[in-house]
Amino acid sequence: MMLDADIRLTQGAFTLDAQFRAPSGITALFGPSGGGKSSILAALTGLKPSRGLVRLGGRDISTIVPHRRGLGLVFQDARLFPHFSVRGNIAYAWKRAPRHLAPSLEDIARYFDLMALLDRPVGNLSGGEKSRVALARALASAPDFLLLDEPFAALDRTRRGAFLRILADMHQTYGVSMLVVTHDIEEASAIASHLVALADGRVVVHGDFAQATRQPEFRTLLAPRDIGTAIPASMLRSAHAPFEQFLWLRADHVLLAAERPHAISARNVLEGKVVSVTVEGLSRLVELETSSGPILSRLTLEAAEELGLVPGKKAWALVKAHTL
Amino acid sequence: MTGAELEILVTSLSVAARAILWSLPFAIAVAFMLSRPRLRGKLVLDGLTHLPVILPPVLVGFLLLLILGRHGVLGRPLGLHLAFTLSGAAMATAVMIFPLFVRSIRLAFEATDARLFEAAAMLRASLMDRFLTIVLPLAWPGILAGAVMAFAAAMGEFGAVITFAGSIPGQTQTLPLAIYAVLQQPGGEVEAMRLAALSFAVAIAGLAGAQLLQRWATRRLLQ
Repeated sequence: MMLDADIRLTQGAFTLDAQFRAPSGITALFGPSGGGKSSILAALTGLKPSRGLVRLGGRDISTIVPHRRGLGLVFQDARLFPHFSVRGNIAYAWKRAPRHLAPSLEDIARYFDLMALLDRPVGNLSGGEKSRVALARALASAPDFLLLDEPFAALDRTRRGAFLRILADMHQTYGVSMLVVTHDIEEASAIASHLVALADGRVVVHGDFAQATRQPEFRTLLAPRDIGTAIPASMLRSAHAPFEQFLWLRADHVLLAAERPHAISARNVLEGKVVSVTVEGLSRLVELETSSGPILSRLTLEAAEELGLVPGKKAWALVKAHTL
Repeated sequence: MTGAELEILVTSLSVAARAILWSLPFAIAVAFMLSRPRLRGKLVLDGLTHLPVILPPVLVGFLLLLILGRHGVLGRPLGLHLAFTLSGAAMATAVMIFPLFVRSIRLAFEATDARLFEAAAMLRASLMDRFLTIVLPLAWPGILAGAVMAFAAAMGEFGAVITFAGSIPGQTQTLPLAIYAVLQQPGGEVEAMRLAALSFAVAIAGLAGAQLLQRWATRRLLQ
């Protein structure tokens, strides 16, 4: 199911004017805080009045009341109903769903590893458990398109990784298309196949994830330490089915060698050709074209001069496996 | 307690209970509308709701006579026999306690987390569905406490009741009306004091009851 948006919304001094398309699959809605990401979700769902058009699978839903739009929304703060148990929360959505994505409510609970918690009140669940219940509840309502507002915000790093895998797997298992709001580029690359990048209420770039992240306009949205490139990868060893994803390779994590390196510990060595060398104060940002796509490396001025890196020159990129 | 005093107490309780039951659904509906942030005509509705507070109670009783009396605007075509009956006393009381009742229920609604209301909308629940399954269950301890407070206020209603329903012993004579009646008689002070003590006891019991009920209901809700 495809989601097309052309949204205009004014809130005090802030103006949102965003046009984008989120195709089937997982799209990351990326941007710095205050860029209007949550306002987009509020406008898409109709929770905040806005002007413009929202089309879901070609159908104009912009004038439909929020509960009939067919959009699901997982909030940053799980928003579980305190007067229901875990089962009650999931059942609330299950009973109102026009169709069922799983054969039973218990199947959904099992999928999210919630069987042991079903009869627990939601008040004393941990952050990770709350997030899983919120996700299970959203899935139980069988949305045509699922929106997620920074769903990882309340989770620690380990739980975050597990949650990302659940999301990616959920898309494969249940075929639910998603728009995931995040300001973390690593999270975005771990799940998304498409990207909508937003800044100051406007869409800066949107489209295929790898291509969109290569645009110079996109780089302006990143903190210097986040600058890097998305390289396609396949997650093979995982509790869930193998799936394709991107890995965000930070320029600071890539070493360059002017000759083919040997007898070194780095597990990933990619041969490539220098495309450009950009001056960044006392650093140099070198772009290398490799068989896995472009790779960026940030070097000191001295290192860049010593290696004699100029466009057209051959070089080898070295990446420590642990930085991925 | 004498038989007459018991009769007065029973009349009072009966009038207050009916007033609460009759006004409850309307108070809930109006309070919910007023608790919505984007309601059109909210100021007008709010103003109308508060009319009984602004108008003199005797005037409210008189207006009720004009509207619901046997020869009233609605009373005649509908064939109502409310004036000078127990139901009439309850009706006048219901109108007088309505603003207070709406206010406490509205506070209870406004105290429920609006974000949960949005969450329910995103799970395909309609406005009425959200009201019945999210707002009402979460607000009911507050509604219950509001009802007890309104009940206590109903026990003390005077001006509108005496105008619309009179002060007929055994039918419409509630505690405050009885106190007034005995004070009109020479040497009625002792009896007035006894009735006042009874009134006081009922009011205190009401307040304590409201507190206990709210605590119990909140605990039960979040168990």
